[in-house]
Amino acid sequence: MSIHTKERPVPNGVVLELVGDLTYANREQFKVAVEAIRQKGCRHLILNMAEVRFVDSSGLGLLALVSQNFKLSQGKVSMLKPQSYVREIMSLANIQKLIPVYDNEQDALSGHQRAA
Amino acid sequence: MTPMSAITTTSRNSPDGEVQTVLVVDDEPTARIALVARLKRLGYRVIEAGDGKAGLEALRRERPDLTILDWMMPELDGPSFCEQIRRDPELLSSQVLMMTSHDRPEQIAEGLARGADDFLSKAASKYEITARVQAGMRTATLIRRLEDVTEEIRKKQEVLERELQSAARYVESLLPIPGRLVPSVQMVHAYRPSLGLGGDLFNVVPWSENLLGLYLLDASGHGVSSALRSASFSTFLRKDNLRHHVGSTDPGAILTEANKQFPLTEDGNYFTIIFARLDVHAQKLSFATAGHNGAFLHRRSGEISWLARPNLPLGFDSSTTYLTEELPIGPGDRLYLLSDGLYEVPDSNGELWGQDRLEKAVQMFNRRPLEDIVSGTIAEAVRWQGHEQFPDDVALMGVECIEQGSHD
Repeated sequence: MSIHTKERPVPNGVVLELVGDLTYANREQFKVAVEAIRQKGCRHLILNMAEVRFVDSSGLGLLALVSQNFKLSQGKVSMLKPQSYVREIMSLANIQKLIPVYDNEQDALSGHQRAA
Repeated sequence: MTPMSAITTTSRNSPDGEVQTVLVVDDEPTARIALVARLKRLGYRVIEAGDGKAGLEALRRERPDLTILDWMMPELDGPSFCEQIRRDPELLSSQVLMMTSHDRPEQIAEGLARGADDFLSKAASKYEITARVQAGMRTATLIRRLEDVTEEIRKKQEVLERELQSAARYVESLLPIPGRLVPSVQMVHAYRPSLGLGGDLFNVVPWSENLLGLYLLDASGHGVSSALRSASFSTFLRKDNLRHHVGSTDPGAILTEANKQFPLTEDGNYFTIIFARLDVHAQKLSFATAGHNGAFLHRRSGEISWLARPNLPLGFDSSTTYLTEELPIGPGDRLYLLSDGLYEVPDSNGELWGQDRLEKAVQMFNRRPLEDIVSGTIAEAVRWQGHEQFPDDVALMGVECIEQGSHD
């Protein structure tokens, strides 16, 4: 399955809606979409994961890479509503240490992390 | 002067510059001589054969671009000639133009069905003959080009595969030799890379008679690049290099340093690893993990405990400190290091074999010899997926502290 991306500006950031699988096969599409947003000077990228069914090991690496690249340009990356399977993969690799996970957009924007 | 006569004196060349060749097979000398003369005037090199058998020999010997074939011939007639060449892998792509004096639709249909490419009436005008021969040549040129390109691709593929095999042999040469690591520790392993060349690698660091490092790493990504990165990481994990760069046998210290040495690649590739240190004398197992959850301890008592801890893979955050945990380990206890490719295998319905079934398989084998358990566990995973080819790399290393007076 492929991945579709759609960006939506929000105050002080961009929400990137992801639909599909975040995998080795789809890495270029994801990288291009995210890099375009970073080049525009976005300081806060919010990845909406609600419609992502699967993240493989390459997908995890891409998430870490995106987080590092945003950090280098004084930005940050947050994640919205990962599905339970994806959430499990993230927590095995402790990704939430790099990319905070939120259940709604308001919390992500305010940086207010609810206790899981 | 007709438009056609202008080109009758130039020779007919294929795109690569060679004169194109036509084979004429006809038992009737008058008709054959007339056609041959016409083709020669058109600039083709022409070979003649007086019957079907001689025609087949000429076809095999000369590989002409086009064969013009009479239908009616004694012994081997035109349609049977076509059937023979379509059955022959060497000749089946030959272009054949079949000639007949009575061109009824059903006869044409039969000729095409039995292997001719096109038809030419013996009553055809010289313009039609020229046009049909040229059309046949166009097809012949395209087919030949296709064959050349296919052959070229096949050769390049062969070279690539030989190189992959040689790289795979190198990676396998890095694996440890099974057997007694030290007098009281036995090791057995299995390695089944998915593409012939794997990104999973495991090894032993022989610090001393009493102190062993054991690790299993997994490079993300696929194929050659992940195998190269794994090989380079395993060089970092050699005994001498660790002494220089880390100065400690502590698994957490080793991973903390490796995390700095191996940042994410520009494609976002990275390593996950479990590194364990077995202190035989003190009967202690220390370990640290980085995004890897493939190790469990099977106690003499039958109890199984996984060594997995949620932890960032290497390269995700350069400030990460990896911590060492410690467990007691005694005679008869067995440590298994494995890649997730061993249990993340789907059956025909897509259901994964999973860690629970892996545990049950190991418990079922119970106290059987270590080599039987390693091979038996792989066999169980194969049985689950229903075929031999694993979708991902599979590595399994079993290590046992030998009980005094047993297995000898």
